[in-house]
Amino acid sequence: MPSIITTEGLTKIYPRGIKAVDNVSFEVEGGEIYGFLGPNGAGKTTTILMLITLLKPTNGKATVCGFDILKEPSKVRESIGYVSQDIAVDENLTGKENLLLQGRFYHLPRNVLEKRIEEVLQMVDLTDRADHLVATYSGGMRKRLDIAEGLIHRPKILFVDEPTLGLDIQTRHKIWEYIQRLRKEATMTIFLTTHYMDEADALCDRISIIDYGQIKVVGKPNDLKSQIGGDVITLKFTKTTIILAEKAIESIRKMTFVENIISTKDSYNIIARNGETTIPKIFEAASRVGAAIESISMKRPTLDEVFLAYTGRALREEEGSREELMSERIKLRRIRP
Amino acid sequence: MSMAFDTLNVCWRELKRFIREPARVIMSVVQPIIWLSLMGNMFQMIGKLPGFPTSRYLDYMAPGIVVMTTLFGGVFGGLSIVWDRRLGFLNKMLAAPISRSSIPVGKMLASTVQSGLQASIILSVALLMGVQCTTGILGVIVIILVAMILCLTLSGISLALGAMIKTHETLMVIMNFLTMPLMFTSSALFPLEFMPSWLAAIAKWNPLTHTLNPIRTLMTKGWDWAIILPDVGAVAVFALVVISVATLLFRRSIT
Repeated sequence: MPSIITTEGLTKIYPRGIKAVDNVSFEVEGGEIYGFLGPNGAGKTTTILMLITLLKPTNGKATVCGFDILKEPSKVRESIGYVSQDIAVDENLTGKENLLLQGRFYHLPRNVLEKRIEEVLQMVDLTDRADHLVATYSGGMRKRLDIAEGLIHRPKILFVDEPTLGLDIQTRHKIWEYIQRLRKEATMTIFLTTHYMDEADALCDRISIIDYGQIKVVGKPNDLKSQIGGDVITLKFTKTTIILAEKAIESIRKMTFVENIISTKDSYNIIARNGETTIPKIFEAASRVGAAIESISMKRPTLDEVFLAYTGRALREEEGSREELMSERIKLRRIRP
Repeated sequence: MSMAFDTLNVCWRELKRFIREPARVIMSVVQPIIWLSLMGNMFQMIGKLPGFPTSRYLDYMAPGIVVMTTLFGGVFGGLSIVWDRRLGFLNKMLAAPISRSSIPVGKMLASTVQSGLQASIILSVALLMGVQCTTGILGVIVIILVAMILCLTLSGISLALGAMIKTHETLMVIMNFLTMPLMFTSSALFPLEFMPSWLAAIAKWNPLTHTLNPIRTLMTKGWDWAIILPDVGAVAVFALVVISVATLLFRRSIT
């Protein structure tokens, strides 16, 4: 698959010298869901705004669908859809009217537009509420409508900035389903940003971890996780056979997939690649020396560990700027009846 | 072609929003009607002053109130752009392949259509209250159109400020600060001849005065083109300049 988005040394320095995006280069392949994972203020939204031609880069180049973002901005705009984190739907219009307006902004002919509206409404399950004012919609419905608007002109790439920001868990999972369905049914390339680990893990084919405006690492979520080390197998022996445990551990340590064993007060943490195949071998080794296993569990490394390894800090919700808080509050005020 | 289509769509959205808020529609009409009936009667005796252009004050102030309506309608034209920016709708429009200028022009057009509607209602009420229009229905139509040009100008100023000012509170304060002085330094409520000379000098430069001259002429004198054309021309040219500047400032604010 050829690259559908390419950037080369993309940099954005804001007026007061703040380097929001710092020499970022990456490629997105056609048809994949590509995620930018990073904390608030890492430069994710700034990158999107540059790619969708709303913000001029200070330095560097980028092409979207083969068009240069600086030289052919209107060609870029025609071929992409954008769903911002603001849930920017007009609540004084009905759902259908919002879609109608959006379709006209993309210059769709009338007969095509009517069909498309039905189509996208069905896709996000809003057909029966289409003629109601958006003011009566819940937060999740608004987000769905917003996504539907991004799809109305069947863009080649959909840019989604923080798809589930501020939504409850059930709605988040629903939105994830819609995004996955989109990729399957519409064979669309999706570029999304998120600061949720589980979201990046569940949705993205490939992710870039971005921090302080720089890309730290790019890869498939599973590859990134396995690069960090193996699965963590926690093993506990029964008290009566504890003397024999040491012998078992000795032989486990020699197994090919085992990387490291850390003993804690009453258990052993075995770091191993291919945890699933290692577990039966651990049982064999234990029974050979007569040690009885009381409990055994396995945990895969999460993106949290990956993030920590590449940025040196844990990813958590950070305090937003005053402006962000303000717009967040406005958004909530609009949604709550 | 595309620019005209985009402009109409931006305008369509604003008008839809407008009619969805009946309180806004009603209040924008009720307020000037109260002015009309309250002040028209309160200052009734002014009409008896020697040299006053009309025998009833109501006849004099009715055009003033019509123009005031379009003034108020235009003044807040820039607010919607500030809100759209804050709520992310502006970015949504900008991400679409629409002509950049269609956004400010569509918004100006929308507030002008709204004001034209309100002005028509108020002028009708004034006519029902016994105010005469010598040029008849055709004159009434021209009067509304001239008043709408003023609204275009004011919403242009408001939009130009809205492009630069990022909070609606600041914009409201500035526009409120502008409206009252504009109103009182014009011939809306009093003829220039009755003003102290320094005030009359200011009023001569006030676009409201130049909007009111042709309107009053159409209401009381008739189709006197020698008075109507130069003033309408001046107001229209001024409107064009303001629209161009506003569009330019808007375009600059989004890059």
